[in-house]
Amino acid sequence: MTDDTPDDGSIETDGGHATEELPAGEDHDDHGLPPMSSVKRWFLTTNHKDIGILYIGTALFFLVFGGILALLMRIQLWAPRAPGEGLLGPLAYNQAVSAHGLLMVFWFISPFAFGFANYVVPLQIGAKDLAFPRLNALSYWLYLFSGLLFGVSFFQKATFSGGWTMYAPLNIPAYTPEVGATTAILALVMFVASVTVSSVNFLTTMHRWRAEDLRLRDLPLFSSSILLTVWMMLFAFAALLAALIVLSADRLLGTTYFVTQEGGSLLWAHLFWFFGHPEVYIVFFPALGVMAEVFQTFTGKRIVGRKWFVAAMVLVALQSFVVWMHHMFLTAINLQIKTLFMATTIGISLPFDLMVFALIYTLIKGRIRFTTPFLFSFGALLLFIIGGITGVFLGAVVLDYEFRGTYWVVAHFHYVMVGGATALFGALYYWYPKITGKMYDEFLGKVHFALYFVGFNLLYFPMFLAWQTPRRVFDYNPAYTPWHRLATIGGFILAVSFLVMFYNLYRSLQTGADADDNPWEYSSTAEWAISSPPPLENFPGLPSYKGGKLNFVSKVTGGATDGGEVTDGGTAVATAAGAGHGTAAATAHEEEHASHASFWPFLLSLAGFLTFVGVSGINKGGLYTPLAAVGGLGVAGSLVGMAREPFTVPSPELAEKWPFDGVEDMKLGMWIFLASDVVLFGAFIGSYLFMRVAEGWRNWHHLIPADHVVMPGLINTYLLLTSSFAVVLAMVAAERGSNKGVVASLVATLALGIGFLINKGIEWQHLFHVHSEAFPEGWELSTNIASSTFYLTTGLHGAHVIVGLLITLYMIPRAWRGAYSGNDKPIEYFGLYWHFVDIVWLFLFPLFYIL
Amino acid sequence: MTGEPAVPETALGLVAQAGGLVPRGTRVEVFNRIYWVFLILGTLVGIVVISYMLWKAYKYRDTGERPAEDEDEDDDRPTLGELPTGSGGGKKLFLSFALSTIIVVSLILWTYGTLLYVEGKTTQDSADQIEVTVEGYQFGWRFIYPNGHRSTTLRVPEDKTVKLKVTSTDVFHNFGIPELKVKSDAIPGQETETWFVAEETGNYTAKCYELCGSGHSYMQADVIVMEQSEYQDWYSQTTPAPEENDSGPESGEGESTETGGESE
Ligand code: HEM
Ligand SMILES: [Cu+2]
Ligand SMILES: [Cu+2]
Repeated sequence: MTDDTPDDGSIETDGGHATEELPAGEDHDDHGLPPMSSVKRWFLTTNHKDIGILYIGTALFFLVFGGILALLMRIQLWAPRAPGEGLLGPLAYNQAVSAHGLLMVFWFISPFAFGFANYVVPLQIGAKDLAFPRLNALSYWLYLFSGLLFGVSFFQKATFSGGWTMYAPLNIPAYTPEVGATTAILALVMFVASVTVSSVNFLTTMHRWRAEDLRLRDLPLFSSSILLTVWMMLFAFAALLAALIVLSADRLLGTTYFVTQEGGSLLWAHLFWFFGHPEVYIVFFPALGVMAEVFQTFTGKRIVGRKWFVAAMVLVALQSFVVWMHHMFLTAINLQIKTLFMATTIGISLPFDLMVFALIYTLIKGRIRFTTPFLFSFGALLLFIIGGITGVFLGAVVLDYEFRGTYWVVAHFHYVMVGGATALFGALYYWYPKITGKMYDEFLGKVHFALYFVGFNLLYFPMFLAWQTPRRVFDYNPAYTPWHRLATIGGFILAVSFLVMFYNLYRSLQTGADADDNPWEYSSTAEWAISSPPPLENFPGLPSYKGGKLNFVSKVTGGATDGGEVTDGGTAVATAAGAGHGTAAATAHEEEHASHASFWPFLLSLAGFLTFVGVSGINKGGLYTPLAAVGGLGVAGSLVGMAREPFTVPSPELAEKWPFDGVEDMKLGMWIFLASDVVLFGAFIGSYLFMRVAEGWRNWHHLIPADHVVMPGLINTYLLLTSSFAVVLAMVAAERGSNKGVVASLVATLALGIGFLINKGIEWQHLFHVHSEAFPEGWELSTNIASSTFYLTTGLHGAHVIVGLLITLYMIPRAWRGAYSGNDKPIEYFGLYWHFVDIVWLFLFPLFYIL
Repeated sequence: MTGEPAVPETALGLVAQAGGLVPRGTRVEVFNRIYWVFLILGTLVGIVVISYMLWKAYKYRDTGERPAEDEDEDDDRPTLGELPTGSGGGKKLFLSFALSTIIVVSLILWTYGTLLYVEGKTTQDSADQIEVTVEGYQFGWRFIYPNGHRSTTLRVPEDKTVKLKVTSTDVFHNFGIPELKVKSDAIPGQETETWFVAEETGNYTAKCYELCGSGHSYMQADVIVMEQSEYQDWYSQTTPAPEENDSGPESGEGESTETGGESE
């Protein structure tokens, strides 16, 4: 985590003038940010709207990427093929299926939705930006580079070919030996990093940066859906990260989780689906939010049963973590568990019924205008109904037994997921005027919809009719040939529809009519109350919902910002409608100047990319090793650069922060991050327990040499506990303003931490080289499942210790220069992390040394 | 058929099994009955809901008229910058929600009785059944009979419960015979159990339903259902030795590196 608070004191000022008044695209200085026409801006920007645009554009690129792979598959499926016949060989086909699934689910749908979330959520909640703008840029660049990394994997013999579910043990090198397969998995790791950073950022922002009197329950439905999505992402992706780290270790370090006969295969299934099922809703929720928003606007009616709609979403978000085993009905799980998961599965489908009905009843007495965004949302609802009904079939376990692994499933999840994407394409048209300031061409939009809808149903409906075709095969019963041909034709019609869309978007940007601030009658959310496109810092004053309606207050009443806040007499209050331009000037120099540009997120992600490319083939030697080293240095350098860069983010004083009024942004961010870390470690510990039970709890001891004793662990427990105490002392010293005290305590922390690592190093060296009868070759990572879990789990903890020590190392010289005297906040944040690392050890020690 | 289904484990099951409503029989029969009920009801519900939605959307399309006398209702339209609220209609919402809940829950409960029946048969032992172990490997299937006979073709008698113990010697596969509606995961280090009854003699094909590598598309095996007496004759002549010539024209064979052998 990096430090976004302005602790260096060197705040950039640029003679502040009313930049807010002008559209951000104008050619003038935006707080050190080059104009939009300059390429440089896009590498530097930390502004949420710019980053939203980057997300949307990049996601569309991956849509094309994944779409081309899909078309290749559809061509292959034109007829049942003998081996080697057709466009794709067997391995190529498997790569296409896997890469298509991964790209669409990870690199297209969610980032596409988060492009809109980035752009729109701050506007809807009345925030000037996200709470950590540089981390937002970092999320984007990590996302882009993770996608590029995935692209690289195609050029390393072959990319991953084990399906998007990546089942074990097909996912280990014994069966998928290609370097590219490893790269694809590392690309996912990098993607998860992006997601985690972004989740922390969104959660902090949405909980603490809402406009005055905008309670959490008052969030517009799109923002609500995003909030719930992000909560799910935070926890679900942590579980995926655990699975991916274990998998990477199996592939690169030789641990043996997934080759282990007893339980290895099922362990993956549990970890993956614990993530995988919430992922289904993560993908779908934003689409639901868009549908609700677009329905309200274009029916001219508020949604029916809004409270229940929100409650249903909350229920689904919670329940999504207890349904995963319905993907494992055909494994050896017993009847009781099957029954339980059948019940939770049905339970989770019911709130969706309510949401669907709420949307449908919203139509009644409406004043419905069939614009392109509405057509797409309406179409999405229709497709989702079909997807939902066919999903009930799968909820009946007896039927699922037969549908499992067939095109029924393929058809069903495309109806749901691509159905969801349909609403997101609607979102693209809906917010296009806001984002670009231009109207799209309505006629072409409708053409797009018509082609899209026809193509979609021609593509996916025949899959229900040919459902007996097994999934992921290209040799099928010739009786189904006509259906598969129809699907292929539909696929191409769908592809053509996107040509129309791209043409429309491009042309309208050049020649479209200028869009009004609010081009849609009956729209109600705040983004329509400001100009199109909105100015860099969004609002002509401080947004507030005092009095039950959006106002822009031009006088800061909070007063605690440490920058030079200038009040210019009088509180000009403008009502929302038409406020876009008029009152902007009044707020010209209201507060300290926020920073909007940083190059480090880009550099950091680039360095991360190089590191991962290097690591992917590290066992192959050659150029890979130096590449990893160079990348690693780049990462370290960029982190330091980013930490040292002065970057001002004024936290809003007048904001709705329930339930986190009492904590600062950084602290909340740290808590949220640690919450995801809890899940990460929880998944590791869970994996250990699972493998141990599969092996036989007592048998486990036969896998461990007698030399593995309690003592080193015990010593390390004391070392860590003492070091935690030292951090507390550092805080106390900082409060008292004693630089020396701070430095001394931090040095003590560092020394104790290094002691911990040295002790661990000695212990590991000893275990690596034991020579007992049972372990003549030593006890290494690859020796057995007990050694694998031991080294990897405590190693992950050790990595956390190392990160902590690096932060300490960074803080010591700063403490020497007095950066923390009277300001113990940074030490407190670090302390949170360090205590957490300690607590984790208190769990690991008994598990791995005593039991 | 063999014996009674397993005792239902829960009250739910009891309810669902009451009245002989619960489909039983071969897996094909069970599947067909449930599938058709679902398909008909699902189609019906789908048509009703979608037609309703299309009708309302058409009915309330904006005609461009803004009736002046309608001022009151106009007040009720969303306005820019308002705090979001919902509109009425909650009663109708809950009514439809309750209805859909009843439909879905009763459908699932109904199939739950069958699930108990299907699962019960897996754990049941009876003299009147045969048992075969199925081993998946990249890329084929090996069938091991109680007498140690091994083959890459599955031969079973008609009208008899065939119990399968399914496992894998390498990666995750899934064994299924679509015409006989039997399917089970083949997981290394695990044994899953399932059963089927074939009512007609003839040739069928077993397929793999989980991506398992480059030969996945062709990972098939022949299934031959024989008359009971014919089966007896055949079985009494089998020996524990692996039978290699029986694999038939396996297209996947050319792809695979080796056809088994190294099972413990
Ligand atoms: C938002 C868009 C889409 C998403 C999220 C999506 C998602 C997926 C996923 C997750 C899979 C499973 C991959 C696997 O089994 O490992 C898949 C398979 C497939 N998709 Fe898509 N897809 C999308 C669009 C398309 C399009 C536009 C086409 C056709 C032109 C298509 C055709 C296919 C085909 C043929 C398969 C292989 C099915 C199989 O054999 O299992 N998909 N898709
Ligand atoms: Cu699921
Ligand atoms: Cu297979």
